[in-house]
Amino acid sequence: MTVASQVKQTLAGLKGVQGTLRIYSTQTQDDETAAIYKEAIETTEAVINDLEKRVQFLEYQEPQYKGN
Amino acid sequence: MQMWLQILFRSIALFILVLIATRILGKRNIARVPSYKLVSYFAIAIIATLISVNIIKEVAFGLIALGVWVLLPLLLDYLSLRSKRLHDLINGKETVLVKHGKIMEESLKQTRLTGEELLRELRSKNAFNLADVEFAVMETTGEINVYLKSDKKPVTGHDLGVKTAPQAEPQTIILDGNSLNESLASLGLNKEWLRIQLENKGVSLDNVFLGQVDSSGDLYLDLFADSIELPESKVKEMIYANVEKAQASLSTFALETEDDSAKVMYEKNARKLKQLMVKLYPCLLR
Repeated sequence: MTVASQVKQTLAGLKGVQGTLRIYSTQTQDDETAAIYKEAIETTEAVINDLEKRVQFLEYQEPQYKGN
Repeated sequence: MQMWLQILFRSIALFILVLIATRILGKRNIARVPSYKLVSYFAIAIIATLISVNIIKEVAFGLIALGVWVLLPLLLDYLSLRSKRLHDLINGKETVLVKHGKIMEESLKQTRLTGEELLRELRSKNAFNLADVEFAVMETTGEINVYLKSDKKPVTGHDLGVKTAPQAEPQTIILDGNSLNESLASLGLNKEWLRIQLENKGVSLDNVFLGQVDSSGDLYLDLFADSIELPESKVKEMIYANVEKAQASLSTFALETEDDSAKVMYEKNARKLKQLMVKLYPCLLR
C-alpha cells in the first residue's frame, strides 16, 4: 500500500466520523452536548482539509499511483 | 321512589361528588399528607357512606357536613401558602433526630419514637450503621429522612472528578405497539423517522412493546418476543474508535514522512484529534 492510499484511508475514516457526528449533533436534545458535537465537526473538518491537500500533493508527486 | 333505587342513585351521585372532592383536595400521596388532612379524608369517606346508605336521612345536612370537611382543608392549605407562621402552626415543624452523628434523645421523647423504631427507619433508608449517619430529621408527615456522612455517601461523577455528558430524560415513543405522536413531536421527530429506525432494526411496530428515545436520539426497543435479540447500537463507540484510529495513523505518518512541512502538519492534526478525543469521551463512552 502506498503512502497516498494510507492517507486516503484515514481521510475516509474521518469523513465517516464527521457524518455520524453531524447526525448526532442534530438529534441530540441537550444543547451542551450538541455544542460539543458541533465543535468536533469543525475540528474534523480542519483535519480533513489538511489531509486532502496532502493527498493532492502526494498524487502530484507520484502520479503513477493516482487513484489507488 | 323505592328504597333500593334511592340508595342506588344516592351512591352514584355521592361517588362522583367524592371523586371531584378528592381531586380538588390535591394529588399528594395519602401517606405523605399532614394528619389533619388524613382525618378530613376519613371524615369525607364516612359522611359520604352514611348519606349513601340512608343513615343520614336529610341529604342536605349531609352535604353541609361534607362541604365543611372538603373546604376547611382547602382553606388551611391556602392560608399556609400565605403565611409561614400559620404554616408551621397548622403543619407543625420537622424535628431533628440525629445531629452531627449524635441522637437527640429529647427529640425522640418529644416525637414518642423509641430507639428501636428510629433504627428501623434508618435501616429502611439504608443506614444500617448509626456511625454512618450525620443528620436525620422527622418531617411533618412523620417520614424520616437521613443524610449520610460525606465519606459514606454514594460516589458521584463529581466526587471522582469525572466529566459526564449532560443527559435529559428519555421519552417513551412506543407503547404496546402504538407510536405516541405527542412525545414524538416533542422530540421534533415524526412517524417517518420512526419507520426508518424500525426498518433499520428489522422489526415492525406491532412487535414492539416499549420504545424509548434517549437524549442523544438513540432508540431503545423492548419486543413482545423476548427470544429475538436486537443488536445493541454501538455507533457512539464506533465513532470514538474511528477517531482514535485516525489519530494513531496521523502520528505514524508524522514519524514516517521525510517532508518537514508535512511532518508539522501531521503532528498538529494528531494533536487536534487527541484533544477532540478528550472532549468527546464523556459524550460517547458514557
